[in-house]
Amino acid sequence: MKKFKDLDPLIHSQLRLAVMSILISVESADFTFIQAQTGATAGNLSIQISKLKEAGYIEVTKKFKGNYPQTRCRITASGKERFNEYVNTLKDYLDQK
Amino acid sequence: MENGEKIMTGEESFRIITEMINRTKVNISNSSFHFLFWGWLIVACSLAEFILWKFTGVSSPWYVWFLVIPGVFVSMIYGFRAGKRVSFQTYADNIYVWTWMAFLIAAAVLFIISSGRMQFVAPFILTLAAIPTFLSGFIIKFRPLIFGGITFWVFALIARFAGNEVSALTVPLAMFTGYLLPGYMLKRKVNHEKV
Repeated sequence: MKKFKDLDPLIHSQLRLAVMSILISVESADFTFIQAQTGATAGNLSIQISKLKEAGYIEVTKKFKGNYPQTRCRITASGKERFNEYVNTLKDYLDQK
Repeated sequence: MENGEKIMTGEESFRIITEMINRTKVNISNSSFHFLFWGWLIVACSLAEFILWKFTGVSSPWYVWFLVIPGVFVSMIYGFRAGKRVSFQTYADNIYVWTWMAFLIAAAVLFIISSGRMQFVAPFILTLAAIPTFLSGFIIKFRPLIFGGITFWVFALIARFAGNEVSALTVPLAMFTGYLLPGYMLKRKVNHEKV
């Protein structure tokens, strides 16, 4: 198996790639929506979202909807750029195969 | 899904990207309310105006159209509440909302510049209303709305060139083909998809 040396290691993981793929195609999404689509556990998803947030790839806002907390995620301009780079690198790799 | 620190192949990565993007389609679940609400409200206003004009001596029957003002508030409050309930919002959802907001503003401007000549406003308002209806059909990929928008343009031409009585009835007829029929079909589609 060929190793992806040039791929952004922060995006190149199953769950973080899934989160970025959801956020690239929407304006914003709830934590619960992302969790339902990825099938991840809340704890695991929370850790991966924190990593993407710390890298500046996504923004996370917390509000209250009624009595319940609502976490909303949105991709940043830098996140979009990194995701596009990731997809282009992936395409190059697949074209070379 | 695993936290995924293991190495993925290129094919696996593409599969995840494609699968996740396909799960984020346009939110259309609350659209039918607006088509049905506005369809029936405008049918009521236009028929009331027709009856007042034809069978009573009321000098300005078009005053019934002021009912549209509370209608705008009802629609906005419903849209705002529904917007807070959705778990994700796509770019297409935003275009959809702002297309209708642009129509609302254009319609308000049209009413203001047409004041005093309200009996001639029907062909213009139908021409204008066709645009967001037609575009919405493309945004949410729902053909009945595209056809509904086209029927608005047909009825606008009829309203302009037919006699006064026929012209007065074009608006309620247009509401059936442009808002109510697509609205009920959309509602049925959404209910069907939920099952």
